[in-house]
Amino acid sequence: MMLRWLMVLIALLVSSSVLAAELYVYNWSEYMPDRILRDFQKETGIKVHMSTYDSNEAMYAKVKLLGAKGYDIVVPSTDYVARMIREGLLQPLDKSKLTNLHNLDPRLLGQSFDPTNTYSVPYMWGSTAIAINTQDPVAAQVRSLADLWKPELQGKLLLPNDMRGVIGLALKRMGRSLNERDPAVVAQACDLLPDVVRNVRLFDSDSPKQALLNREVAVAVLWNGEAFIASRENPAIQYIYPPEGFSLWIDNLCIPKNARNVEAAHRFIDYLLRPEVAARIAEEFTYSSPNIPARALLDPKVQASPVVYPPDDVLARGEFETDLGPATAAYEQCWMRIKTK
Amino acid sequence: MRRDGLFRRLVIAATVVWMAVFGVVPNLLVLGASVSHPSPTTFLSPGFTLGNYALLLDGIHAQILFSSLKLSAAVTAICFGLAYPFAALLARAGRRTRHVLLVLVVIPFWTNSLVRTYAMTVLLNTSGLVNRVLFALGLIDAPLTLLYTTGAVVAGLVYTLLPFMILPLYAALDRFDPRLEEAARDLGAGRFQVLWYIKLPLVLPGIITGCMLVFLPGLGMFYVADVLGGAKTMLVGNFIRDQFLVTRQWPLGAAASTLLTMIMIVLLLIYWWSQRRIHEGKLDV
Amino acid sequence: MKWLRRIYIAMVLGFLYIPLAVMVVYSFNASRFSMDWKGFSGEWYLQLWNNTGLLTAALNSLVVAVVSATLSTVLGTLIAFTLTRWRFPSRRVIGATLFVMMMSPDIVIAISLLVLFMLLGLPLGFGTLVLAHVTLCLPFVAIVVQGKLHGFDPVFIEAARDLGAGDFAVFRYIVVPLVTPAVLAGWLLSFTLSLDDVVISFFTTGPTFEVLPLRIYSMVRLGFKPEINALCTIMMAITSLAVIIAYRVFKEEK
Repeated sequence: MMLRWLMVLIALLVSSSVLAAELYVYNWSEYMPDRILRDFQKETGIKVHMSTYDSNEAMYAKVKLLGAKGYDIVVPSTDYVARMIREGLLQPLDKSKLTNLHNLDPRLLGQSFDPTNTYSVPYMWGSTAIAINTQDPVAAQVRSLADLWKPELQGKLLLPNDMRGVIGLALKRMGRSLNERDPAVVAQACDLLPDVVRNVRLFDSDSPKQALLNREVAVAVLWNGEAFIASRENPAIQYIYPPEGFSLWIDNLCIPKNARNVEAAHRFIDYLLRPEVAARIAEEFTYSSPNIPARALLDPKVQASPVVYPPDDVLARGEFETDLGPATAAYEQCWMRIKTK
Repeated sequence: MRRDGLFRRLVIAATVVWMAVFGVVPNLLVLGASVSHPSPTTFLSPGFTLGNYALLLDGIHAQILFSSLKLSAAVTAICFGLAYPFAALLARAGRRTRHVLLVLVVIPFWTNSLVRTYAMTVLLNTSGLVNRVLFALGLIDAPLTLLYTTGAVVAGLVYTLLPFMILPLYAALDRFDPRLEEAARDLGAGRFQVLWYIKLPLVLPGIITGCMLVFLPGLGMFYVADVLGGAKTMLVGNFIRDQFLVTRQWPLGAAASTLLTMIMIVLLLIYWWSQRRIHEGKLDV
Repeated sequence: MKWLRRIYIAMVLGFLYIPLAVMVVYSFNASRFSMDWKGFSGEWYLQLWNNTGLLTAALNSLVVAVVSATLSTVLGTLIAFTLTRWRFPSRRVIGATLFVMMMSPDIVIAISLLVLFMLLGLPLGFGTLVLAHVTLCLPFVAIVVQGKLHGFDPVFIEAARDLGAGDFAVFRYIVVPLVTPAVLAGWLLSFTLSLDDVVISFFTTGPTFEVLPLRIYSMVRLGFKPEINALCTIMMAITSLAVIIAYRVFKEEK
């Protein structure tokens, strides 16, 4: 008797997932409001399931593990787009289905990681720099990357849980590129890190603003979108572009090679490119939107914020992360060393 | 009669096949992976090398292993310290109380352990209950840093694993006949002698089971270290997870996993030895 | 002395229950972010009702727990029966393997099954997750039931045999009824293990089948979420109720 009920239940579950069109999106955490998914379902009848990750490495490993199946949309950053294209994990987009493509800022298209945007369209872009809580007297003094090394910051610092992000801080401090390929230089940068890691309270790339707002930390290296939301909740929180330089990134919508629901994936991407949709996303998660008409629809405060849309002279200090190729090994060695202290 | 023979053969075959496919083969695969060559594009490339084990026991990785072992040993010791008196009281309590208490120990399991770990963060954060109580009692005047520390990871592990220590200890102590103790006393044995020669050997299998059930998961529960340790403390579990799901060095991760299996086998051998002592000769009860 | 004992027991139980109690209390707190008590509210239960992702994951977890507990109980009982009843060449090896499987750390089981599934080319999802959970639970069932089988008097079986019962009939009419309490205990144990598991689910399910721990894992990384408190309170209530009922039923059967 019980077994029969069980069969019925299983049959129901299986059939429900076959009947309705469903879309599996794998996205960064805190990056797409649930409302957007619900509205899309209301309009198209396509149910969107979203799971989240906190690093490109984790996303890449999962996609690879699943044989580029399972997810219909993933959102890799710059360097990982190049890598995934090279390894045949992505499929070319059908641009005839992306009617809203013209909304995108041409400055963000045609970047070196995918020069013709055959496989990727920008979802959001932004910077990774320093947020400080000026209510803390020590944190209020922080002006540059070098200041993060001050021993007074002990136990007050949050760093991203991200290899490139952390090692990049040391490289920039040395005046080198984020994409340094010389293992000797990387090792040199790595030797600088123990002194900054000593200050670290936690590594977090999911929702670093939480620790900042809860005052678990007073200084955080985080993304501009998180910093803007944090400063909206607590005006004492400021975002600083360090003089030594900082990292810029573009996260891109891509379709894995063996995605099942390619048609729905295109529809969803096109939906996200609509100015009013892009504006709603960029208002809730205040990263920089690549969508030009969307920007005009944003709250004027967001539009005018140098945190979200930095002026050109600041942007000039930023640098995009690129794929490191075999040099990655040196970074991984260093990361392991940092995490074990 | 023929149908019965068929039933028997079918069941035996099913048992053997299941155990082979899900018990033996996966472990052999991991062993195989641990001696394969790493590969940047696929997960591993077949071959034979002991390089992964060498790498595992090299400076950085050995440090992770060692600190995780130390941490888990501390967790096991704390659990034992807390659980032993509890189990002893339980074994001595009346039938009714005993049942109620046992059910109470088990109920938290019905909440997923990740949820219980998360409940700990609610207790330990800067404005959490622990800080508030201490503050209200006037014991502290500024909130303590509790969350995102190694201490928080230890507390979280003790919290989730404590019942795994209580239950086997209780089972062992419950089986222990107090008349043995009395008899030994009557024959003139001292307190220490009773403990060392009578009680300990009989309860030892239970102690070892409890320690295994705490020590081994204590090496592997990566989410406790993530949620309570601020991604700063690395357990062997975090290491293995990262090799498989982040940096894709399957052979190295497989080597670490094989190492865990070897630790387990050593503990199991100790367990069997302690049990055999009971069933053989002088400890026969 | 007596008081000291009571206090000690209360302390240990307090340690086990205070975090859960705090969670239950906060599930009724009106405040979204802060830990301050801002008044009683059922808001998060309403929010939960709208959070289909979380509810689907919870339902999925329950389905997996029921299916894998049932499968591992059937298989585990059969295996226990096989091991105690019949002698065959690999019997001792299987007994030892069961014990090793029971003691294996979750992470070891998880990655070894992941490697197996990859090799077989099985797509990660409901099927692989159930297989993994059955692998996790089965040894526990087998060992619990085996304990019971060792305990009972072979006279019953001999008598049945004398009356002309075959292997199947012996299993169906003698063994099954006699070990039912142990089998039920095994089922309950499996259900618990499956529901409690994080590590194995983490490695062996895919995007198309999300279970509660994974969903919660991605939520708790983002800080305090009152809906989780509400959901856990509900699940705790349901499962405790089920346990109490099961316990009552058990007692009456005895």
